[in-house]
Amino acid sequence: MFELLNSHYNYFAVMLLLGIGLYMLIESRNLVKKVIGMNIFQTGIFLFFITLAFRTGGNPPIIKEGGGPYVSPLPHVLILTAIVVGVSLTAVALALIIRIYTEYGTLDEDKLKQLYYD
Amino acid sequence: MTLSLIEGLLLVFVLGCAIGAAVLRDVLASLMAFAAYSLGISIIWVMLEAPDVGLTEAAVGAGIMTILFILALANTVRPQENGLFESLSVRTVVLVGAFVVVMVATVPSLPAIGADGAANPVVSGEVTQHYIDNAYADTEVKNAVTAVLAAYRGFDTLGEAVVVFSAGVAALTVLRQEVFA
Amino acid sequence: MSSDERTGLYVESTIIMTTVRVVAPFVLTFALFVMFHGANSPGGGFQGGVIAGSVVMMLAFAYGIDAAREWLDVRVVAALASGGVLTFAAIGLGTIVLGGNFLEYHLYEQFISHVVAYAIELVELAIGGIVASVAIGLFFLLAAGFGHAVDAPEDES
Repeated sequence: MFELLNSHYNYFAVMLLLGIGLYMLIESRNLVKKVIGMNIFQTGIFLFFITLAFRTGGNPPIIKEGGGPYVSPLPHVLILTAIVVGVSLTAVALALIIRIYTEYGTLDEDKLKQLYYD
Repeated sequence: MTLSLIEGLLLVFVLGCAIGAAVLRDVLASLMAFAAYSLGISIIWVMLEAPDVGLTEAAVGAGIMTILFILALANTVRPQENGLFESLSVRTVVLVGAFVVVMVATVPSLPAIGADGAANPVVSGEVTQHYIDNAYADTEVKNAVTAVLAAYRGFDTLGEAVVVFSAGVAALTVLRQEVFA
Repeated sequence: MSSDERTGLYVESTIIMTTVRVVAPFVLTFALFVMFHGANSPGGGFQGGVIAGSVVMMLAFAYGIDAAREWLDVRVVAALASGGVLTFAAIGLGTIVLGGNFLEYHLYEQFISHVVAYAIELVELAIGGIVASVAIGLFFLLAAGFGHAVDAPEDES
């Protein structure tokens, strides 16, 4: 078990981050905190990708004479764009939250449910 | 690769901030924990030799995202609640714990961190090798990340750019504004 | 939230104003460096765009969001965003017109030599424009909140 932890530590962190994000998405009653949870979940997946791209003794993928070996550039590109798309997603979610607040006057999930069904 | 002290400390810091964001009752405190979390994880990206991703995460996650959250809080409400921490719901903890246990069960089949050769197909795969070998000859760009971003996967990047643009338009629509400023 | 409460967001502080006045030109230079030099060092359109957008946010924090909103020309922001998308699409579709595939930069080689590097630079600038202007736009949108639209009738319920 300790061997595994020593050679796969980032993957354990990924799974824990996914768990924390999921917990916030399910359990937080405040909508803003749900969005924070979604971001933590997202970052967990990013960590998974970047860890897979890493190799011991690798250099950043900036090609130069005798610079190798390099880490894999492809996951970096995917995550780079995913981060920027993530902030756009968050911004739209926050705009919706502001809209919900002006309509209902609360961000509490339970109160919103009550107001919606009344 | 084995766990070095600085990586261990960073992971503990990041996980601590994430747990803090989850259990702190005050939304603003939770948000600050999330900003610290973003900053910590951007250092992890640099440790994993991904400077492009680290630069983006530091500017976006710790900078712009926090500002947008604070503006949203300023425009809505920050509930004044007593007590520092949320009470944990046992049912959700059990559910999420089961999820984490199932996910952790897949960890032994993943390649060890830093493995290369046949053990880690992502690093040694044909696609990666092609990009690294041909990026400069094909595109005259030294940064392989930029080469993949703008040339090899350019169509994908156009899609991402349009997604960012549409997010701006969607926010305009949701907030019923006609101009950005 | 009413408008008089919203102005309470801004606290005038000499320290912040002076710091921002000193730091802002350097941050903008750094953003442009990251954007232009993304071909040979870490960086590129996404990162540079976000940093350039944060310059406007810094100014807004120092001098007040409403003052920054008046100072900034909306048309520039909108033109950067839509112009970026159009530039990127035009570069990509241009190669199809020349009989190749989408974004096959080599086909421009007949007009300009070393065109691939320039075309990639242009694409990065287009991305930087989109990201910077959308970041600025979202900042002002979320700061304004809902209900300050130009005579938007609330007819639905």
